[in-house]
Amino acid sequence: MGGLLTTAVGSYPKPDYLAKARSQFSQGKLDRDDLAKLERRATEYWIRAQERLGLDVLVHGEMERGDMVAYFAGEPGGTTIGGMKIGGLVRSYGNRYYHKPVIVDKLRWPGPMTVDMWRFAQGLTDRPVKGMLTGPYTMVEWSFDEHYPSRREAVLDMAQVIHREAEELARAGARYIQIDEPAIHTRPQEDFDLAVEAFGVVVEGIAAEFHTHICYGEVELIYPDMLRLPVKQIHLAFKNTGFEYLKLIEEHPFDSRKDLGVGVVDVHEHELEPVDEVVAGIKATLKLMPPERLWIEPDCGLKTRTVEEAEAKLRVMVDAVRQVKHELELE
Amino acid sequence: MLATVVGSYPKIPNRPRPARLRAAIARFERGEISAKELARAEDEVTVEVIGEQVEAGLDLISDGQVRWEDDQTHIARRLSGFSIDGLQRYLDTNTYFRQPEVEGAVAWQSPILVRDYQFAAGHSPRPVKAIITGPYTLAALSKDERYRSRRDLTLALAEALHREALALQEAGAPLIQVNDPLILGNSDDFPVLAEALKRMLDGVTVEKALYTWFGSIEGVYPQLLELPVDIIGIDFVSRAGNWEALRKAPFTKKLGFGIVDGRNTRLETADEIAQAVRRISDVCPPERLHVNPSCGLEYLPREEAFEKLKRLVEGVTLAQADLGG
Repeated sequence: MGGLLTTAVGSYPKPDYLAKARSQFSQGKLDRDDLAKLERRATEYWIRAQERLGLDVLVHGEMERGDMVAYFAGEPGGTTIGGMKIGGLVRSYGNRYYHKPVIVDKLRWPGPMTVDMWRFAQGLTDRPVKGMLTGPYTMVEWSFDEHYPSRREAVLDMAQVIHREAEELARAGARYIQIDEPAIHTRPQEDFDLAVEAFGVVVEGIAAEFHTHICYGEVELIYPDMLRLPVKQIHLAFKNTGFEYLKLIEEHPFDSRKDLGVGVVDVHEHELEPVDEVVAGIKATLKLMPPERLWIEPDCGLKTRTVEEAEAKLRVMVDAVRQVKHELELE
Repeated sequence: MLATVVGSYPKIPNRPRPARLRAAIARFERGEISAKELARAEDEVTVEVIGEQVEAGLDLISDGQVRWEDDQTHIARRLSGFSIDGLQRYLDTNTYFRQPEVEGAVAWQSPILVRDYQFAAGHSPRPVKAIITGPYTLAALSKDERYRSRRDLTLALAEALHREALALQEAGAPLIQVNDPLILGNSDDFPVLAEALKRMLDGVTVEKALYTWFGSIEGVYPQLLELPVDIIGIDFVSRAGNWEALRKAPFTKKLGFGIVDGRNTRLETADEIAQAVRRISDVCPPERLHVNPSCGLEYLPREEAFEKLKRLVEGVTLAQADLGG
């Protein structure tokens, strides 16, 4: 392949029947096995959709997860890391609330949390499906901590838990494992070294290609520091920031041993980007990086869009990549 | 020694209690209830959170800032010169605020907080403090391509908020608290804050407080003591270094002593709180302490916030028995 591989960041919208089933499950009106059947049905839908749309590396779509942290911390139907539980409602902004997880005891790996779903998804397709985990810094930062005396101790123990899970995913055959760290730049001066150290613990000795996804907040505060993360690919939300990150890469070249994941469609806007605009974004990035080191992706997980919007955004992305490849004779 | 809060209180409780405000806002957004009905729900919830603060035993309370979407937009929306833009992460929290954007000359139009103060005071057996987001913080967290200098924008905001402070004083507020957490970490701008507060609080003769949170006072202490306020609020939880930093100079004002973690659910014991009062007593004697959480309580679920306030009051009572004040 001539570079410009396409993939997605993680989540897809849940079809109505699944959203309804999840709500029934949390009210005790549906059992776990029945919910699991619907999760698998929706997962299969997204695997087929991604094949149909022509993505190169697939995600399973996170049909079984409500929130990327709470899924591992006691959310109904999730798999809970030992020492975590779900807490009360906290407001994040406007009229939006979420159940914030709590660390109440020493963190322990509870056995495989994501492997069955990964294996199911990978079993449906010949294309690689990424293993998807939330990184240790984000897991701790987005939880209360009633157990550890310091954030450092909590993050490093959490890193061991995520490491064990990544190990299982690799053993099951996952070639790509993505560790999302959207909170990694919450305290860049104080904690970035800790976040890098914890990431090192996660990937230690595992023969898989690790990717990370960083979004929201001030990415410029951790560039070029983020290049110290022990991953093959770093993905950033370029579209949402009008490709301003290109300036950062202009000033300080991206690590020549790493790939860059370029977010080219906004996941928070209903509006569909024109193919030409995405083509222009990819071409602008190609002035700084060779195609074999670029991955083309949406800005973030697409779960807040409708099924139709999400597919339309993926289609625009794939069409734009085809056009660029054709123009530049990459194929 | 007083037991008090920094400001915000969780807007909704957890099940089985009903999340009335959340439901009312959702219904208002769908056009199912009128603005008047939403305001009634806000009033009811204000009464409810006043009740919880009083039940916990606080000496001085707030209205819980129940009507505030966030610290910035609640004020900026009601001044002229601002529009409201996209979501931004609020400091090192996992909460977000909509960023105010300066589009024209910033000016005060009519009272922003007076009606809310009067409502709270009329429904509380305890004194209620009036709380205003400070001019420096509003300037620092806004997008501004008009004034183009943080100093100019801060001073324009100080001028506008001066009218609000006077209106609150007129309405009978016994204490006016200005929240300017953004000065921490921006010590080069300390003279801007000093000038702004001088303007904003000119003619304000009731008790005045400046509250900060999350950051280190390194770089702005002891200069904070020069500000025209009676009380300085400092967070001793997020930054343990503030204990030492405060020893740099004799503390000559009242201290807003932020020692209960407003961002974590681990419950402090009454003993821990009494210990903290004892530990600070050689720098600031008990009679000059306003003991409070490290920040607003909206980062916590409602039940934990209430439990923390109860323990805070127990700790203060223990310390009073021990040290007086």
